[in-house]
Amino acid sequence: MDTLLALFNGFSVALEPSKLLFCLIGVFLGTAVGVLPGIGPALTVALLLPVTFKLDPAGSLIMFAGIYYGGMYGGSTTAILLNAPGESASLATALEGSKMAKAGRGGPALATAAVGSFVAGLIATLGLAFLAPWLVELAVKFGPWDYFGLMILAFVTVSATFGDSPLRGLTSLFLGITLGLVGIDKLTGQARLTFGVPELLNGIEVTTLAVGLFAVGEALYVASKRHREPEEIIPIKGSLWMTKQDWKRSWAPWLRGTAYGFPIGALPAGGAEVPTFLSYATERKLCKYPDEFGKGAIEGVAGPEAANNASAAGTLVPLLTLGLPTSATAAIMLAGFQQYGLNPGPLLFAEKPDLVWGLIASLFIANVMLVILNLPLIGLWVKLLAVPQPWLYAGILVFATMGTLAVNPSPVELGMLFGFGFLGYLMRRYDYPVAPMVVGLILGPMAEAQLRRALQISLGDPMILLENPGSATLLGLALLGLVAPFVMKGLNRFKASED
Amino acid sequence: MLTSILRRGAFATLALAGLTTAAFAQMELKIMAPAAPGGGWDGTARSMQQALTASGIAKSVQVTNVPGAGGTIGLAQLVNSSKGDGSTLMVNGFVMVGAILLNKSPVDLTQTTPIARLTAEALVVVVPAESPIKTAKDLADRVKADPAKVIWAGGSAGGADHILAALFAGTVGADASKINYIPFSGGGEALAAMLGGRVTAGVSGYGEFEGQIKAGKLRVIGVTSPKRLTNAPDAPTFKEQGVDLELLNWRSVVAPPGISAEQRKALADAMDKMVKSKEWAEILKARGWDDAYLASAEFETFLKAEKARVEGVMKTVGLIK
Amino acid sequence: MANEKTRSGPDRAALVAGVLLLAVAALVARDAASQTIVSSYGVGPTAMPYVVASGLGLLGLAHLVVAFRDGLPAPDSSDPRALGWIVAGLVGFIACVALGGGFIVATALLFGFTARGFGREALVTDLVIGFVMGLVIYVVFFKLLTLSLPAGPLERLLV
Repeated sequence: MDTLLALFNGFSVALEPSKLLFCLIGVFLGTAVGVLPGIGPALTVALLLPVTFKLDPAGSLIMFAGIYYGGMYGGSTTAILLNAPGESASLATALEGSKMAKAGRGGPALATAAVGSFVAGLIATLGLAFLAPWLVELAVKFGPWDYFGLMILAFVTVSATFGDSPLRGLTSLFLGITLGLVGIDKLTGQARLTFGVPELLNGIEVTTLAVGLFAVGEALYVASKRHREPEEIIPIKGSLWMTKQDWKRSWAPWLRGTAYGFPIGALPAGGAEVPTFLSYATERKLCKYPDEFGKGAIEGVAGPEAANNASAAGTLVPLLTLGLPTSATAAIMLAGFQQYGLNPGPLLFAEKPDLVWGLIASLFIANVMLVILNLPLIGLWVKLLAVPQPWLYAGILVFATMGTLAVNPSPVELGMLFGFGFLGYLMRRYDYPVAPMVVGLILGPMAEAQLRRALQISLGDPMILLENPGSATLLGLALLGLVAPFVMKGLNRFKASED
Repeated sequence: MLTSILRRGAFATLALAGLTTAAFAQMELKIMAPAAPGGGWDGTARSMQQALTASGIAKSVQVTNVPGAGGTIGLAQLVNSSKGDGSTLMVNGFVMVGAILLNKSPVDLTQTTPIARLTAEALVVVVPAESPIKTAKDLADRVKADPAKVIWAGGSAGGADHILAALFAGTVGADASKINYIPFSGGGEALAAMLGGRVTAGVSGYGEFEGQIKAGKLRVIGVTSPKRLTNAPDAPTFKEQGVDLELLNWRSVVAPPGISAEQRKALADAMDKMVKSKEWAEILKARGWDDAYLASAEFETFLKAEKARVEGVMKTVGLIK
Repeated sequence: MANEKTRSGPDRAALVAGVLLLAVAALVARDAASQTIVSSYGVGPTAMPYVVASGLGLLGLAHLVVAFRDGLPAPDSSDPRALGWIVAGLVGFIACVALGGGFIVATALLFGFTARGFGREALVTDLVIGFVMGLVIYVVFFKLLTLSLPAGPLERLLV
């Protein structure tokens, strides 16, 4: 009951007209900067943080929340419209979203992303308000072995993105894992596969690979076959807004995405990528129109976008209750708190309840603002696709290089972007799926680091993976995931023979 | 209120250029943060930008980011392409000293022109509240008995936290090359490992653990500052417990090599004015940084000593040969 | 796929892919073997590279087998001229940035050449559009976000 009261209190602070205006400005600025490819929400917030410096704490926090959500939503807009994911968490969104956009369904894709983010944000905020203390107890119990189990489970689900050839899918995945080895080894500080190039020491940037393979590779591929089968981009086909059918197909993925995103986001090393992959794989399995996957299925946008947003709210659980910044964005949030001399942590709820609940209420309001601001904008965004094809693709390439340069202005990074672009072209030409490669780059290093941490704690005893109930369960599920498709096939045959 | 946001926001730089009343300020500076936007060094660079322009010490300050390899890519660029440029500064810090050695960087900090040390943070060694380890001596006994069983959690390999764990082992007479140190990415994960009771001891900047320490979930074994911290008078130093251990995670600025004595003095003076400005004081307070100003000459001596110490430790731990 | 059995001998694409994968596997293994420092507890930095190298090796061999069986799906013809223009735009961009020509000129080249690759026959107009686009982006980044993009002579005039 205290929680509810505090939350209402928070709302009363955040609902003042001036605060609402700050929130709207924040959402607008965040969206405007977040749509630039390569600039994810963390960087958006970092760049715009100084804007909030001169406001009073409450006003600044609410503007901050607006920028944050605006940045997240801006990121998915680029992923959907330009196929250039600005951060690893919107990778899964780009897979189906960009296909939908080209088929004239960009409107519904953007709408399901916005409404899905809203629904996920709403539920996750409630989760934050009521479950945080309990969830955090569980979260700190999650050891390296458990993370390793979770990563393996995520690896198994990647096969959902393999397309029709396991050989080509696995090849793509392994190349991604190989790229993940490049750079300084996290645990010993040794350089691997860097060949004396200092720019490689930090490893391969996920966004560079993703934008290269997706956006640049796609541009090359489309151009190469234009003389034969010109690609047709339809800006709008059917309704700009979600149809009844779209709603029906979206609500369950929203909820499932939230169910993945919130708890995994609350884990200190959970991140946003794993839940988006899990959500994508689940929707693909459960979808009533499996043929549409790979051609633009709305479930594939609705689920991962909800998961992404819920996991962002999830990272607030350890941040607010323990003062643990567990993601780049959370670290920036921490900076946001610290400008008022607030130190998030176990004492924050007790010492400054008005600010904490003000922030939570702000997040909530920012979410509403986002929907209000962006739904009308969808029509405008989709018009981008009506730009003549040569200009559209030329523009995509300019934006892709700009995003890369803004984060790391080095010719080596650009060379990698274009190298990956050409690789993406070749892979498309010979029908290799590109998504597993990016997934391998993201998950490979995470899985390796967690396994090695686990073994360092157990002094080399691998049994630690099976002795812990958490990791044993997750590894068991992963095994089940590997075996289940075969069992399902058998069952289907059984059913078919019964009919 | 709205005008104030607009001024701070979209039109901040445009407006500033027109509004600067400080006509005496002619200095135009470039500050390079050898890290991606959003990180610690970037924060220092952008805070300096804010303080220098707001206080009128400099007319314009431009921040550039050259990320990669623990800052050594930015360092290489400073040494090779900015030689003799008296209007460029680069932010750096303790971590870069280790990164240079670890990455076998062809250039090193002695090639730069030291300008000033700006801030520093003491490190702290903590254990979970329920741990039987109460003092530095208890921890020392454990490490001496079996270094493998004492699991340390902290930041990246070769970073300040790792160096401290090794220094501790070496100082108390244990085999520093046998320490079982697990690097975590970011303080959050290391802290979670501590709270979950999976590791013996944790190392980090004091600020990062402060909330948990005050809440009684973590116990301080020792801080690495020469004297007790003003914001944590209860936390004992290692020194007072008879362990001769001092380490500060400092941040500083350096200029390119080959600048003239006048240029060096102009930069040093600008830093001297900045650290004494009220704008800088406000930033330190807002960000929770401790002032650790060392002027150009003293900083140069300090830098040499730190380099020798870090190199020694990294050899013992086996991070470099 | 629908294309098999129409060619004679092994599939060249699969053969090349197989050999390349084996080469990458060898590279990864060699790099791991040359690591001098290994961790004293648990598994060291070389374990994962060896696992990856074995995986890549197996995939390489599988490609060789495929080369002598079905082969990879045969790609349809591609337009080398279109590709050429875009690659020229990309390479021009890197060269321009690396040689200090600045972001704006680089953007003009990339935009103009790419549009040409997609079949527009108005190179000069597109170069101008690219130039303006580069200018706007540069100013927005530099002035509003204080992020500096690579500067050349032109950009220095703007400051």
